[in-house]
Amino acid sequence: MSTVLAVKIFLSLLATLFIAYLPRWMELGGDVRIRDEAHARALASEAVTGFQASEVIIDRAGIGALLKDKDGRQLLVRRHGAQFVGRLLTSSSNSRLDQNFLTIGTGEKSFGKVTLNLGDKAQHWASGLRHLQHG
Amino acid sequence: MDNLPSPVDYAIPFFVLTIIAEMIWAKRNAPEKYEPRDTMMSLFFGFGSTLAGVLFGGAAFAIAMQAYDFRLTTVPWAWWAWIACFLLDDLAYYVFHRSAHRVRWFWASHVNHHSSQHYNLSTALRQTWTGFFAISFIFRLPLAFIGFHPAMILFCGGLNLIYQYWIHTEAIGRMPRWFEAVMNTPSHHRVHHATNPRYLDRNYAGVLIIWDKMFGTFEAEKDSDPVRYGIVKQLGSFNLLWGIFHEWIGIFRDVWTAPWRHKLGYIWRAPGWSHDGSRDSSDSIRARWLESGGT
Repeated sequence: MSTVLAVKIFLSLLATLFIAYLPRWMELGGDVRIRDEAHARALASEAVTGFQASEVIIDRAGIGALLKDKDGRQLLVRRHGAQFVGRLLTSSSNSRLDQNFLTIGTGEKSFGKVTLNLGDKAQHWASGLRHLQHG
Repeated sequence: MDNLPSPVDYAIPFFVLTIIAEMIWAKRNAPEKYEPRDTMMSLFFGFGSTLAGVLFGGAAFAIAMQAYDFRLTTVPWAWWAWIACFLLDDLAYYVFHRSAHRVRWFWASHVNHHSSQHYNLSTALRQTWTGFFAISFIFRLPLAFIGFHPAMILFCGGLNLIYQYWIHTEAIGRMPRWFEAVMNTPSHHRVHHATNPRYLDRNYAGVLIIWDKMFGTFEAEKDSDPVRYGIVKQLGSFNLLWGIFHEWIGIFRDVWTAPWRHKLGYIWRAPGWSHDGSRDSSDSIRARWLESGGT
């Protein structure tokens, strides 16, 4: 490798690290939350085109939501940085209930798990998810 | 003449300064337009892509030189040849880009550029590491067969890439009408990065939007349908390596598990295609959206 090329790569790395640090230093990104049911429904419809929720539960802090449609499909929406992402839950999903807290995994390792505070509705939704897992 | 500098090298200071300017704009107007981890990921996609270029660029150039040896004619280093090369390279880019969205093999590499849910200048630098492996360079080989020197093609390709940088922004609304009619603009390219059913697989242009208008893939941005960015199945992860290789891993898994007669379909058919119709492709999403009224 020539010296010029090595210098170019080094400067590119420096520029990359410098710019990558700026959004954090400038406190960009924000703290997004699910505002209400209408917001959760809109996010679900964006995640899966045509998903029309008949039942919605939002985490107490607004970091995620669970939605169910009339066909019994269940969709998890959760915060991802300054945006939201959603996944239809399938038989490979898994969940764990701890009082008001429901921890949900989609079966996708890269997607991770999310713990939602669903209050006294947690039991009801946990039972729905168990039904999904056991067909 | 065949030892031209890389125009992209000279554009790097411009990239750095304009990203900082856009971040200041975001800080004042819409802080959520930049997300620290997303920006970090985009920039390391870009840095890795530069390294991949160093590693494999020479091989791609050598292949282009091989093609040039079989050229139909020798295009001279004349002013008109530069214009012709730039225009044909832009057309070749359109063909590549359309293929990159319609053939899963090419999409596996190109998806890297689309996997951010944000749309800012750092997204422009979110480039693939696996372009050479995906043999994306073949789309420029016809120019070498015609008789354009690979160095000229490479230089024009660099200019094309630099042009496409500034259109990755929400800080610019619409350009003057005449400009929007001919050139690719932030508005046209926002449509291209959208996941809204209306906008899926539209506006493949590099520099000139006329290619989309000629080949029926143009869609104008509508204020009534604000753009949502990313991919149909959002990544939901800031893991760099997963971001880079997830579609390749998906292809491998699908080819491994699919029945024999369907294996190739998971490579050459559209992203989202499945032999049992159980998955969503942009075509099925658009069809469902149109069935529901398309609003």
